[in-house]
Amino acid sequence: MTDAVFEPLQSGRTFDEIETWSLQALRDWQLDRIRAVVGNAVTANDFYREHWRRAGRNPRELSDWSDFTALPVIAKPDLIAAGVDWSPRRGRVAFSTRGTSGEPLVVWLDSEESESFITPTMRGFWWAGLRPGETALMMSPAWHRLAAMEGHAALRLGGNAAYFWGSGGPQFGESFLQALAHIKPEFVTTTAPFLVSLVRDCADQEIDARELLASVHSIISVGLPLTPSLREYLSDQTGADVFERSGTQEGAAADECEQHSSPHVHGDVCHIEVLDADDQPAGEGRRGRLVVTKLQTFGDPVIRYDTGDIAELFEAPCRCGRALPRLKICGRPESSVVVSGQPITAYDVRLAVDEDSELVGRLVLLVGDREGPGNVLTVAIEGEPKHADEIAARLHERLGVTNVQFKWLGGARMAWGFRQVIDKSEV
Amino acid sequence: MSASTRNGPARISFQVPGGELKFAEGDLDVWAEHLVWCYRMLDVANGSTIAVQDFGTSPVSYLGSSLLMPTLAAGVAERIDGRLICLDASVERVVITPNAIRQVDPDVLVVRADVLGLLLDCMKRAGVDLSPVKGPTLIAVVGAEQITLPPGKWRRLLHIESSLLLAPECARCGCFHLRENFYAPANGRFENLLMGTATLTPARLEPVDHRCTCSPGDLLVKLRNPDPQATA
Repeated sequence: MTDAVFEPLQSGRTFDEIETWSLQALRDWQLDRIRAVVGNAVTANDFYREHWRRAGRNPRELSDWSDFTALPVIAKPDLIAAGVDWSPRRGRVAFSTRGTSGEPLVVWLDSEESESFITPTMRGFWWAGLRPGETALMMSPAWHRLAAMEGHAALRLGGNAAYFWGSGGPQFGESFLQALAHIKPEFVTTTAPFLVSLVRDCADQEIDARELLASVHSIISVGLPLTPSLREYLSDQTGADVFERSGTQEGAAADECEQHSSPHVHGDVCHIEVLDADDQPAGEGRRGRLVVTKLQTFGDPVIRYDTGDIAELFEAPCRCGRALPRLKICGRPESSVVVSGQPITAYDVRLAVDEDSELVGRLVLLVGDREGPGNVLTVAIEGEPKHADEIAARLHERLGVTNVQFKWLGGARMAWGFRQVIDKSEV
Repeated sequence: MSASTRNGPARISFQVPGGELKFAEGDLDVWAEHLVWCYRMLDVANGSTIAVQDFGTSPVSYLGSSLLMPTLAAGVAERIDGRLICLDASVERVVITPNAIRQVDPDVLVVRADVLGLLLDCMKRAGVDLSPVKGPTLIAVVGAEQITLPPGKWRRLLHIESSLLLAPECARCGCFHLRENFYAPANGRFENLLMGTATLTPARLEPVDHRCTCSPGDLLVKLRNPDPQATA
């Protein structure tokens, strides 16, 4: 395989060879891996073998990408129903999806697969600036398979790992601040809701967050997509460079580079597709369903699996020079509402709200109706009314939404969390 | 209060209520072996699948597997050739536990005592059976606070975060066993011998003046009932 080197990368930011590959070289390499993954699944995995047989597919001879994309897409209910036919539980440690769209999926991780995901985590940490001798203050390793890689990645990069007591809920903000003051880490990984809550709490208590975080040069944010304005706001409020990290329990993994133009997919461990309703590629930067294929022959196979996430995929080169495609996970059906037949994600609305520097950082929730979708987009926003007409105009221009209603929550202070839609009865 | 073992520079640290725990290479394996010792006294068998509903930053979670923690060569799951699912102790995670339990069907369920009530409510609503016959071995992770366990055959694992005290409740003597060579009495309290500096446990641990034939070298303690006359 020949590797075309693109524009010279910023010195010091390159972690490993895959960053210098062209997109074609990456795809060629991935196809080889997919042949091995699919071949292994045909032999060793009852669920996939039977599933493909029923679909009339014989994937033993995968000659090109069209053979791969002819394999049917599967979804969570398929894997849950398959049980041990899909996952005979060879892995040591299980992780569960959040179950926001129904029953959670349990995925098992073994030592080989864990090892394979540590390298991309190191890559992401390197891009975000973690260097030998530095300490990373992190969240619990046990809540997500990607979080479980973080401690390993930090130490292998020559750093140290520190953990604050508790979990990711806002009630542990004080615990985090105590850890911060004591440890003075250079690097932090946390969830987006936790980070926003921290910044807001500091503002409320007239504490200078930049002073508290003076030792921190980089923060990695996970769990919720950051709008560009929110990322800049958080960077400004903390004095640290904020990087978005994303992924799924089923094996998608992506990290932002220094250009902050959506996270780069770690193409050595996963192949990502974003598909429309007809299982066709949605197109460059267009919204669709996130479909992931893990590229390891060990562990439970995940092949053309629809994670339930709504995403956008960018194959155009990033300004950083890396050809690794970029993925923006925008939300899920449960973080969306349907207005006049059109799905609107909470991220879409936050894009419109966050552009206003006087509103960025406020909690924004979509208001749904359990009784059924309507033709009015109702948005609940913390605080007093401000610039509603401008927000509505942006929503109309970008999403075609004509009926927008705002519920201003005034002084009611709600914690940022992963939940982004509330029912109208709750407002 | 900061506590660490003496095996070289600390690479991993945990902030805990009342202090900090630091670990160098090799330290975590000592504690993983100890946690397995605790589990054996709580009748956890080799090959068990253990579901842990505790914070990920609790040793009950992070000692669970080497996959979770750097420098841990073998966690509980590796040592007993078993499996582990960590469920976290946040409200958001507790509410999805019943569905995860249905899929995983663990042999052992270890639950932080202060989320036990919520978890049992969720289990009941989801129709998940925790009865002794059909369900898993049940272990409640208790601290020094007085807590009333719900009906059912709950075993107890005492965990005092600041001193990394992990002590199983013995079915034979009914006391918590403070393992020989791990803990020793110190000025009316108990010291963790392996953590380098003195880490003192709360005064609510009442020493019991006899030995248990299960493990005669261990110190035995009970949780002292709170003094109703004491001020807050």
